[in-house]
Amino acid sequence: MLDIQNLNVVFGTGRLRVDAVKNVSFHVEPGAAYGLVGESGSGKSTVLRAICGLAPITSGRVVVEGKEVTSPRSKAFYRTAQMVFQDPYASLHPRHTVDRTLSEPLAIHGEKDAEARILQALREVGLGPSFRFRYPHQLSGGQRQRIAIARALILRPKVLLLDEPTSALDASVQAEILNLLDDLRRRLGLTYILVSHDLAVVAHLCERLLVMQHGEAVEETTSAALRSGVATNDYTQSLIQASQGFTRVAPQPLQAPAA
Amino acid sequence: MTKPLLDVEDLRVRFHLRTGTVEAVRGVSFQLGRERLGIVGESGSGKSQTGRAILGLTPPPGEVTAKRLAFDGIDLQKASKRTLRTLRGGRISMVMQDPKYSLNPVMTIGEQIIEAYQAHVKAGKAEARDRALAMLEAVKMRDPGRVFSLYPHEVSGGMGQRAMIAMMLVTEPDLLIADEPTSALDVTVSMEVLRILDELVSERGMGLIFISHDLKLVSSFCDRVLVMYAGRVVEELEAKNLRDAQHPYTQGLMRCLPTLANDVRPLPTLNRDPAWAL
Repeated sequence: MLDIQNLNVVFGTGRLRVDAVKNVSFHVEPGAAYGLVGESGSGKSTVLRAICGLAPITSGRVVVEGKEVTSPRSKAFYRTAQMVFQDPYASLHPRHTVDRTLSEPLAIHGEKDAEARILQALREVGLGPSFRFRYPHQLSGGQRQRIAIARALILRPKVLLLDEPTSALDASVQAEILNLLDDLRRRLGLTYILVSHDLAVVAHLCERLLVMQHGEAVEETTSAALRSGVATNDYTQSLIQASQGFTRVAPQPLQAPAA
Repeated sequence: MTKPLLDVEDLRVRFHLRTGTVEAVRGVSFQLGRERLGIVGESGSGKSQTGRAILGLTPPPGEVTAKRLAFDGIDLQKASKRTLRTLRGGRISMVMQDPKYSLNPVMTIGEQIIEAYQAHVKAGKAEARDRALAMLEAVKMRDPGRVFSLYPHEVSGGMGQRAMIAMMLVTEPDLLIADEPTSALDVTVSMEVLRILDELVSERGMGLIFISHDLKLVSSFCDRVLVMYAGRVVEELEAKNLRDAQHPYTQGLMRCLPTLANDVRPLPTLNRDPAWAL
């Protein structure tokens, strides 16, 4: 479904040159969910942005559904792949109603029957028709992220690119969105590429994942291996450890208060 | 039991808005000794407003009332602005969430630490400089001399947060309020920052209020945890006993996190009982 070979992304030239992604390759089967994990600056989001045309592909190949992508991306590309962004507070137009947000992709692609499609998209993400004419400020963070997912799904794409879809949300809302994504993938047979700094989230949603550091792929592993704590790479190991919470080297007794 | 460092009883924070009065904190009471106290809750639970109200940093038009709000025997409600100013940054310090917004962008890190020190301690330039450098070393900066002369935009998030902690601890406060000190940082960096905070707290015998939305992190770092929901403390427990939490909200918060250890699907979601908010 998706094949990335020796992808390089370079920003700037000369002294300002930044190699954001260095020689990253991976392959995702149709219907699979693939995770990209790493810390800020590791290039994980840049990979995603390069796939959908928001970052330049300096060299390498990005093949989606058997076709190498063209720059600028064709309309057909955006029918295949859509993106969900991190911050639902920033990714929805504040002065567009839900209806307008959802009808825009339909209008661009000349789809008919907009009304039925919008209602169906709302239903898919677990929101009723009463949300159709609301503005983003009338929605909670979780509801906004549902709208962002509905917007991505309305063209019936096969690949969903998810950039930290839950990190701006509260823990209980994160659980709801993760369940929704899990459910949608099964029902609609979607392929996911998920970017997250949270190992537990990636392990929950994806079967395979790539650990990135400083723009390079460090280790490709499976969620099952991650769960059993098997990691050949030191960096992956330190990420696993950090996700378990804070550990004291030696528990220190509290000092008596100064008199 | 010695006299508590901080004594809070029936703390309330209200915002009188055009659309009516919003009560962000509704009757929070706790006592703090020289220990690590965690305050956990989701957005809007009033945890940050609790921390700000203690320091008198509630933004207008907020109104703070409390039956008792005392720091080391000093009544913070009756204290003059002058007294409050000497306490703030002197004996009580606060570390904010994001170093990008809480450091002065047009001053070097060293100058900022010196400024914080000289605002509270009568000290000459050379002495203040030595203190600042010592503090930068205490927060494990690799090259304190270099970091001293850097501007905030020249350092990474983790370094910025460590500089912030250095600035807040240079006056050797008795109480440190840390409001989501690691939320803007990467996991491995945040572990480093926590380790430094932990060392400084236990070495100096400070009291620490650690405000966070991350229940797992707080329970592994603090001694005691207050769980807040809709402006109230719904449960108070020893951090190590978090697994035996009684309140359905705490239990729900614990369960809804995906973990590496267990693969539960679908994840249990939180059914909010309107009775919790009463």
